[in-house]
Amino acid sequence: MSNPLAAQQLSASQRAKMFIQKSPARMAFIIAALIYLVTIIISPTSLNPSAIGSIIMLTLLLSFASAGQTIVLIGGGMDFGVGAVMSSAAILTTTIMNGKDGHFLQLLVTALAMGAVVGLLNGVCTVKIGLPPMIVTLAISNVVTRMQYVLTQGSPMGYASPTFIKTVTSRLFGLQFLPSIVLYAIIIIPLVYFLLNRSRFGKQVYLVGNNPTAARLNGINVARVQILTYVFSGLFAAFAGMLGAAYMNAARCQIFDEYAYNSLIAVIIGGTTLSGGIGSYTGSIAGSLVMVVLSNALTTVGLSQPVRNVFMGLIMVLLLILYNREKKVRQ
Amino acid sequence: MIKNAFDRFRRSPAFAGFILFLVALVLNAVLQGPASFFTVKSINTLFAKNAPFIIVTVAQSLLLIAGTMDISCGVQVALVNVVIIMAGQTLGLPFIVCCILGVGVAVLASLACWICCSVFRLPALLASYALTYIIKGINVMIMDVPQGKVDKVFYKAYDSQILGFIPVSALFIVGVLIIWLYVRHNRFGTHIYAVGANPRNAFAAGISPMKVQLKAFVLKGIFIGVAGICITLMIASGNPLQAEDYGIRSLSACILGGLGFGGWGNVACAVFGSGFYVLIQNSVYYFFSLLVKLIPGFAVTSYWQNFVSDIIIFLGLLMTIVTAKGQRQALKEGIVRQFRRSDRHYDEPTAAKKGGDGNE
Repeated sequence: MSNPLAAQQLSASQRAKMFIQKSPARMAFIIAALIYLVTIIISPTSLNPSAIGSIIMLTLLLSFASAGQTIVLIGGGMDFGVGAVMSSAAILTTTIMNGKDGHFLQLLVTALAMGAVVGLLNGVCTVKIGLPPMIVTLAISNVVTRMQYVLTQGSPMGYASPTFIKTVTSRLFGLQFLPSIVLYAIIIIPLVYFLLNRSRFGKQVYLVGNNPTAARLNGINVARVQILTYVFSGLFAAFAGMLGAAYMNAARCQIFDEYAYNSLIAVIIGGTTLSGGIGSYTGSIAGSLVMVVLSNALTTVGLSQPVRNVFMGLIMVLLLILYNREKKVRQ
Repeated sequence: MIKNAFDRFRRSPAFAGFILFLVALVLNAVLQGPASFFTVKSINTLFAKNAPFIIVTVAQSLLLIAGTMDISCGVQVALVNVVIIMAGQTLGLPFIVCCILGVGVAVLASLACWICCSVFRLPALLASYALTYIIKGINVMIMDVPQGKVDKVFYKAYDSQILGFIPVSALFIVGVLIIWLYVRHNRFGTHIYAVGANPRNAFAAGISPMKVQLKAFVLKGIFIGVAGICITLMIASGNPLQAEDYGIRSLSACILGGLGFGGWGNVACAVFGSGFYVLIQNSVYYFFSLLVKLIPGFAVTSYWQNFVSDIIIFLGLLMTIVTAKGQRQALKEGIVRQFRRSDRHYDEPTAAKKGGDGNE
């Protein structure tokens, strides 16, 4: 009598397991929805258009930053320089614009060049010299961070220009839940999709991440592809930093440094593996949503800062346990 | 005999780190002026200020050899500091008991990390980053603002010298190293390398990777506890938000000293790596004060010092790996040669050898 029941339960749990592991992106969206539901139940006032608008804003910002991280992780690397590049781009934005309109093109070129140079340095040191990506990108991002302090004497000047701020933070069509950063997303997200799924480069990145030796034997220039992933990461991080400066209005040193880890965790929650070769940008967007909704939930519930930290850590561990475990030693 | 010993050392993983350390030492001595560098006082200050960092690096090296890592080491040191001070302040326990309590808490924190990394098999980097949040929150919950004090007897003792020239702080480091050496020459010392290099092979050979990593984490917890005691004696008060960057800095110090991820390198790497880290920061400080003295009207902020020392550390990182790569190659060739010598009846075809090399 109990035997078939047990079998049924087992199959149900297996089905649940399959459901969880089949599409991490879908799972991440579900988790984000659940967390938001809990937030609304605990404090119903948090369900208002402007709160949703700020969630969308922060999610898009984090997903732009994690676009590069996704590409690098799929290619089998890791980039901790995202935070430092974003902070530097934010400082460049406020310094170059200095509260006046008409410097956007100059800023765009400078910031993207900076991002590309840092990315290139990361890539060359990781791939050509063979250092562990985590250590070398950390060391380079340290140098970049110190450079911010040296060049600005610790207190960056200026503000982002009013027009630029308007293109990021103003609400579209008077709808409170639709910030105009969505317009940038219309450009960036398809671009990343094209890069990863529709271009030759994207296919090569997946191949290289999956098996570098096989990729090399198939005539792919492994080193070039991997270095390019870091360059793209630098470019996307620099762009995200510019938008972030517009969102924050003014910048300070190390303003976006936490994005280095946050983007990594968002990408991992979205189902991209640390070992490379597997992953999608949809997952990273979903992971960003989870991270933003989570921190929003912990803020609205009104816990004190230390308790919030503990919860944040515990939930991160839970999310990792859910579907990012390594293989068993005994198989 | 001596030449042989030197040859062996030259091939050891710690050699690259040793060279970096030596360069930094000479640089520091020259910039500070040998007369003022080689004094009991200056050596004592160097050890007293940096003993916690060096011990944390040794603890980190243990985990790296075992094939995992823990970047929450830094906040764990702060946790020990907070526990020691608050146990003395609120429960009125004697200082020594507080210290033992602190070590116990550090072991508990390490076990939490072990559960994440080995039992749940999460990526060590991300799991320990999540733990950083948790432990930081707990630190602030226990002690909200920097406060507390340590009896004068204890922190004076930490800053003093035995026999007039051996810094007490150095004894903490030596103690940790002796524990490590004892462990290294046990069976556990061999197992830890086996598990770090390849857990699957180790498992097939009858070693339980989980148990070995458990032991490594407990030992690391004890080391972190000692580092926490050192930092408590050093600042003679409590601060919940200090030493957070020790976790990542110790990791890069280990790599600087020539350790690799998993089963490669030894504890000397950690000592030389952290020594290089410490001495470079010291010598950059003296370099800038020398510049100020030599060029009238020359003034820079401390930002420049950090910038230059970070650049040097980055360059050092590049240097180590170039040399370490050569060493690893030499080691591999040595193993292959030995294998061929023992296997006389087998002539390896050249084509197969080529394929084998191409795999790397």
